[in-house]
Amino acid sequence: MSNIAGKAYAMNVITPIRWYTTWLNKFYFWFALKFPKTLNGLITLSLIHYARWVIIGRNQFPHLDPAQPKENLKYSYMMFFSNFNGSWDQYVDSFTFAIPGGLDLFWKWNIRYPKSVPLTPFHNYIRYNQIETIHYYNAYPLAASNDVKSAKAVKDALIAFQKHELDASDEDFMKRYNALVRGLQHDLGDMHPTPIISMSAYQVQRRERWHDGRLKQEIEAQEVEAQERSQANAKGE
Amino acid sequence: MTKQLDLTDIQGNVVRAYGRFGYPVARYVFLNIRHSATARQFLLAISKRVTSSVEWGDGPGQIKQPDWTVNVAFAYQGLKELGLPRSSLNGFSPEFVQGMKHRRDMLGDDGPSAPDNWDPIWRGNRETREQDVHIFISLNARLPALMEQAYQWLLEQVKAHEQGVVILSGHRGDDGSLLDYQDVKVVMENGKPTAKEHFGYTDGIGDPVFEGAPNYDLNVHGRGKQMEDGSWQPLATGEFLLGHVDEAHEYPPAPQPVLLARNGTYMVYRKLHENVATFDQYLEKHAQNYARHRGLALDNARELLAAKFVGRWRDNGAPLVKAPDPESKAKFDMQFLGADAAGKDKLLSDFTYDDDMSGAKCPFSAHIRRINPRASLQMVKGACPGSMIYNEGAFDTPGALANRRRILRRGLPYGDVKDRSRNDGNHGIIIMMINADINRQFEFVQQQWINYGNDFQSGSDKEILLGNHDADDKAPSKAVLQVDPQGDEAPYILSKIPRLVETRGGEYFFVPSLTALRMIAQGVIDPT
Repeated sequence: MSNIAGKAYAMNVITPIRWYTTWLNKFYFWFALKFPKTLNGLITLSLIHYARWVIIGRNQFPHLDPAQPKENLKYSYMMFFSNFNGSWDQYVDSFTFAIPGGLDLFWKWNIRYPKSVPLTPFHNYIRYNQIETIHYYNAYPLAASNDVKSAKAVKDALIAFQKHELDASDEDFMKRYNALVRGLQHDLGDMHPTPIISMSAYQVQRRERWHDGRLKQEIEAQEVEAQERSQANAKGE
Repeated sequence: MTKQLDLTDIQGNVVRAYGRFGYPVARYVFLNIRHSATARQFLLAISKRVTSSVEWGDGPGQIKQPDWTVNVAFAYQGLKELGLPRSSLNGFSPEFVQGMKHRRDMLGDDGPSAPDNWDPIWRGNRETREQDVHIFISLNARLPALMEQAYQWLLEQVKAHEQGVVILSGHRGDDGSLLDYQDVKVVMENGKPTAKEHFGYTDGIGDPVFEGAPNYDLNVHGRGKQMEDGSWQPLATGEFLLGHVDEAHEYPPAPQPVLLARNGTYMVYRKLHENVATFDQYLEKHAQNYARHRGLALDNARELLAAKFVGRWRDNGAPLVKAPDPESKAKFDMQFLGADAAGKDKLLSDFTYDDDMSGAKCPFSAHIRRINPRASLQMVKGACPGSMIYNEGAFDTPGALANRRRILRRGLPYGDVKDRSRNDGNHGIIIMMINADINRQFEFVQQQWINYGNDFQSGSDKEILLGNHDADDKAPSKAVLQVDPQGDEAPYILSKIPRLVETRGGEYFFVPSLTALRMIAQGVIDPT
């Protein structure tokens, strides 16, 4: 089990909410979407890939088969789902440091929500209601969301740069080149493995295997095996 | 602010960086406990001489400034040996319990900074019971001769309780010698004490100011927390002292009983070796390119580039935000020369990044921007390519992402640089960082801001001076020295940054209040 894949962390939090106050939450969500400036703080926290809040009504839980026993739920539930870069602490703390008021508005009507300040009760509330991620796939484990945004910016700028005529004078070219690099000066960060944020046995073991070269060998062996398999398949056909 | 702290109860090193109060030399001594009850008697004897934070004066009834100071702290294993009940021990933070060596992955202490390369005392720590570092004692003195006096006093105390405690040896000194203590002293220049470290930077500027700290109102500008209306406030006491309310309006998590924790704090001790030859060579190599790049004379380019590494000019610590080029630096120097002590502090500390959001003056990977970004992380890309702008109103308070990451810095340089063309001499700094939460404050800054750059939208680019830059070419480090987005220059790229600073050891300590120290010594800590 791991909430972490590569540089990303997946967080799911499900909290009960009184069914007769859900309309208030829905109104806040509607308002926030209608007036995106209210989400300014959230957007400025650049470690966040995205965050989503969903209200699941007490009668909306999936009933997949007539054999499944009917549930009679007392509460509706609010599901919060987010992917982000960094550690659990960094994420939760950034929220409470930066936008405590906004958090309180979204969670205000949830059962036993302690408010985001002071910090320790809020930490406890999130931990208690968090659903651990058992399986988490990450297509770009080395990339933080900022890395992806920067890579796109670099790509777009390079394509635009190339579209210009190439017979300009050296001086003109230099000027244009300087402008290109200057315009990208906040998109040139390197992309290497993240600092270590988890001390879970799985992650520690993985690091040990990485340090002594075993992980590399294992991946290479897997690749060779896959190649042999595909060759064997090709012959078989 | 009206908060009054009990300065007679708080240890002196929490409130004072002794080096700045006329104590240019110090020794840090580490002890191993051999017999619990005798060790407690030793502590009782020592506690009578421990220096508090009380204000000194020469008047009648005032406490005179001592010739030498004594301060005490404990590693987790030490508290265990001293017989603290399990229920008290359980209240200490997990990272303090685990210790610095076993947090090496979190801290990025790899390669030359890995524990295998630490001084023998730190290599041996947490390996066997007899080698564990249990007690930390620091002695700071006004003169070298007084330092001897202080050390002799300590030796006598140890001798009188030799069944109880032993001094652990194994601090690397000059020419491969191993010492019984870590020797530190200010760097001298032309026979005069300076506030510099071995790379030549003026150090120890801009320590955070918190509520109740003596004289905070003199220098809260730039050292407290930045408010929406442009004013500055002292940080909450609980960011640095347990038993006081912190920035999140609560008492920081702390062990029980209350008297064990109140007015105490955590201290991170780190021995950092400085590769002076690598630093000089790297600076020189890039100074030549930088001189061409910026159209500057070589000497000016070298100093400006050195300033870009840290965010401050080497000679007097002038912040780049106020003095971004040689011309403005000359003006700053004139003002600085004419200023009194409070004026100097204001010139050095009272600034924001509000007018340098793109990093054209102080680069995003510069030391001071990384360890205390002030309000600058409230940033988004601007309309002009290559610009960052302050995102007005995004966060509830401008310092939202910085206020809870602040650290009080103590310590002094060690050793002398006898040959600047060699890295292997005995030279570096001992840094002691004081905070209420090692994980949230020190470890976070070390991990996310020094060894990584995502919060600064700089990918994996590390802090230039302290970053754990890779020695090989697998993941070479670089830094972007940003320029004015509206100008016509290109940013300067510092490529293949070598490891300039290496960890040589360290540990996490608990600095008790004087009350708690006496209670530990008397064996009366009991949370029930």
